[in-house]
Amino acid sequence: MAWLERCWNVLRPRRLQSDLERELRFHMRERADDLVADGMNDAEAAARARRQFGNYTSQMEWTRDMDINGWLEALLRHLRLAVRGLRKTPAFTATVVATLALGIGANSAVFSAIDAVLLRPLPFPGGDQLMKLTQIDPHASNSFVAPARLEDWNRLAGAFQGISGSYQQDESELSGELPEKLNRALVAPRFLRVLGVAPELGRDFTPQEEKFGGPDAVLISDRLWRRRFGASPNALGKSLRLGRTSVPIIGVMPASFHYPDRDVDLWSVSAPDALYAQDRTSTWFTVIGRLKPGVTVAQGRANLATVQANLGRQFPKSDSKLLTAVEPLKEVTVGGVRKSLIILFASVTLLLLIACINIAALLLSRAAARHHEIAVRFSLGASRASVVGHLLSEVLLLALAGAALGLVVASGASAVFRSLAKDLPRIEEMGLDWRIVLYSLACAVAVTLLCGLVPALRGARQDLAGSLAQAGRSQVGGRNRVQFVLVGAQVALAVTLLAGAGLLLRSFQELSRVSPGFHPERVLSFHVSMSWGETADQKAAKQRAQSMLEALRAVPGVESAAVAMALPGVPTEYQVELKSSEGRAGSEPKMMAQGRVVSPEYFATVGIPLLAGTLCRDEGAAQMMVNRSFADAYMPGTSAVGRHLTQPFDAYLKPALVSGIVGDAREMGMDQAPGPVVYWCWPTAQPGQFFLVRTHGNPRLMAATIRRKMHEIAPARSVYDLTPLTEHISDAYAENRLRTILLVFFAATAVLLACVGLYGTLSFMVNVRQREVGLRLALGAVRGQIVRQFLAQGLVVSLAGCAAGLALSAASGRLLAGMLYGVSATDGITLAGVVATITAVSGLASLVPAVRAARLEPMQVLRDE
Amino acid sequence: MGAKKNDILQGTLALLILKSLASQKKLHGYAITVHIERVSDQLLRVEEGSLYPALHRMEQEGWVRAEWGTTEKNREARFYSLTPLGRKQLAREEDNWARLTEGVSRVIRYGLA
Repeated sequence: MAWLERCWNVLRPRRLQSDLERELRFHMRERADDLVADGMNDAEAAARARRQFGNYTSQMEWTRDMDINGWLEALLRHLRLAVRGLRKTPAFTATVVATLALGIGANSAVFSAIDAVLLRPLPFPGGDQLMKLTQIDPHASNSFVAPARLEDWNRLAGAFQGISGSYQQDESELSGELPEKLNRALVAPRFLRVLGVAPELGRDFTPQEEKFGGPDAVLISDRLWRRRFGASPNALGKSLRLGRTSVPIIGVMPASFHYPDRDVDLWSVSAPDALYAQDRTSTWFTVIGRLKPGVTVAQGRANLATVQANLGRQFPKSDSKLLTAVEPLKEVTVGGVRKSLIILFASVTLLLLIACINIAALLLSRAAARHHEIAVRFSLGASRASVVGHLLSEVLLLALAGAALGLVVASGASAVFRSLAKDLPRIEEMGLDWRIVLYSLACAVAVTLLCGLVPALRGARQDLAGSLAQAGRSQVGGRNRVQFVLVGAQVALAVTLLAGAGLLLRSFQELSRVSPGFHPERVLSFHVSMSWGETADQKAAKQRAQSMLEALRAVPGVESAAVAMALPGVPTEYQVELKSSEGRAGSEPKMMAQGRVVSPEYFATVGIPLLAGTLCRDEGAAQMMVNRSFADAYMPGTSAVGRHLTQPFDAYLKPALVSGIVGDAREMGMDQAPGPVVYWCWPTAQPGQFFLVRTHGNPRLMAATIRRKMHEIAPARSVYDLTPLTEHISDAYAENRLRTILLVFFAATAVLLACVGLYGTLSFMVNVRQREVGLRLALGAVRGQIVRQFLAQGLVVSLAGCAAGLALSAASGRLLAGMLYGVSATDGITLAGVVATITAVSGLASLVPAVRAARLEPMQVLRDE
Repeated sequence: MGAKKNDILQGTLALLILKSLASQKKLHGYAITVHIERVSDQLLRVEEGSLYPALHRMEQEGWVRAEWGTTEKNREARFYSLTPLGRKQLAREEDNWARLTEGVSRVIRYGLA
């Protein structure tokens, strides 16, 4: 470890010196001894030995140079000098460090989100081997898998180590004072083994527990364990009361385990050998599988397709039309937010770039102000490399300080980011660790090179030595061109960011101006707990729902109440194909529509008007409504009323009578223009269905009353998620909102930085040209002319920057496509607004130094020179 | 300084030191000088001024290892020995030397022919 030793030697030069002395002295004594042995006397021998040795001191130095690494010493010297230099200009140092801290901090914070969400593998051992497996039925829009098929896949698909699955339902836990809603994941056998996770406390399910009729057992989440049992190990063996059964707790999952999602409180087995699980057409599992080591996704995909094709021959009725898909679980989890995060990262990187350019401009001015010092250095024999090294080490020091402070900023910013983006998948895994520290350090080095190299090389130009002669004399040269190019670049980047932010803001505004076709105000929505098992007795379940609705309608302050499987205005996808029993010409288009399942009062409750016909009645799936788009597209006028529609591939559904036509509502989400929608008026009672209540006043104020009423009529059920419909709708666009807020914030910061850059550069120019301006004023120049000249200079730079920025934002518009609503990526109004804003702000930023120049007292300036 | 004694050609000192250490295992700086002078029949003379910088540089390169020990005369001395890396370097330098002398002698022979 020669290297380590050298560093070590730097730290203990004294020790080294004495070692060296001992060694050299030994050499001389040996030599003298030999000379004495040859017959010389002692004194003469010593003198001879010393003479032969040469200059003792320089020997020492030469040898020592071999030990201490020269450049390491030079580096230390540079750094010492840099500290001294920076301490002398505290304002400059503080500005640069603060700018960098903000730039690097924001960048590291967004990077930590990207790292947690996109870059890191899922938090399971060998997470990259985990796949999501789906069955694709060309005639149904859900991709769940039948339990019997899951078991077949697991048995036959050789590319996978194991296949398992899960589904979720809400439960009422009854051992407390009030029923508590818990989210339970029902899992297929092998669940934890496929994921590769073991309980933190307790054990996994036994094979007996994974069979139908086996002992009940439940694993609980770390969160529930802490909340209900105070993190006591005694929780094992205690029981939870779920519905009518009491289930013993056999284990606690690790705090980091959030699969299928972060709301799960309980995991228990859904046995595949139960009688009700044998039907190959009833599908409920979301399926995951773990590939064997070395097997690629493509191989797994091909393997499962083959297995399913064989099953199709074995069970032609249920399986022959099914296709399969295999996607990495990580992609399924985070694929949707990749674009948003990349946009954020791109904009925060632009911000850092602007900060760098700003600092580069500052450094250029500083280098210009230090002409004299550098010239002296050169004339005293400093090499160009050492001057560049000196200037660069100054920037390195600034960047390191900025990065260190940036980490503090990043920890704060990432906390803010986490709370703003709490719906982002995997966001709970975000945190500051050594990867983020390394990233910040890398940023610091990049920053050093980016903003230090040009000023250092320019500052260290040899010909500057000539300026020693004209010390302090102001020259106006081409040197300033670089500074203006930098400022222009800054403006261009700021324009790009501002254009992006402006477009997002405009779409947001457009979105809020949209008429949704229904009235989401004064509507409260909530869930009532229910298990899938209860759906077996549909009659009882529906009666229960009906009596709940009647009770709700009797509550003072409630206008109407309904149930629905989905909320209007919140993106939900349920595409169905329909066939008319009365027949249509073969040439007419296939009838595709979004299907919704609602109770008849739904339309009054959310405020969708009836346009033709009569309101449907809930008569066991016999009646339905269509919206105007559906009628216009497939059955013009009112001809739809009185027809019967059915789903061609669903054997269970009888044709339903279209009893009326309702207005178009944005069922699919506020950003989706209404398309054809059909409403079946037979709400099956199902877990997760929404109760909707229209109130007279503020819906939030009714929450407590409604909760009490529901507890009265169904004491064993928990009522949860009481939320105004408007809030659900705005939550559905939370990611959109977050993106907009952050981008606007970044853009504002960018504009600010660009203005500071412009202001700083012009001020510097004014300072440099003081003498010239003073002279001109003394010779009778008009002050207005001076102002105009500097102002024009600033405006020309910022307009050039605007032009470049617009080109840049046109090029990057593709990134925003799909996130815009109601505006195009080249929206004239937005872009004109951006240019106007930038021009106004940069005009202001240049006006101040311009006016200062014009106010110069000519005599004062000339005397000073 | 005796004119008959050859000063060592620049760059060959490392070869000589490595070779000395290869044949003797462990030597202190003075012993290396003596060894080279004796084996070369006093034809070569090692300058102390080059020896110690060279030794220390070779130590930094990792070719030799140094440790303090005592001589037969019970004096403290710094003993140098060859590392595996040094052994490889020795092979390389011997090779270089052979090629150099071969080249030089060919040039000389050409002139004679």
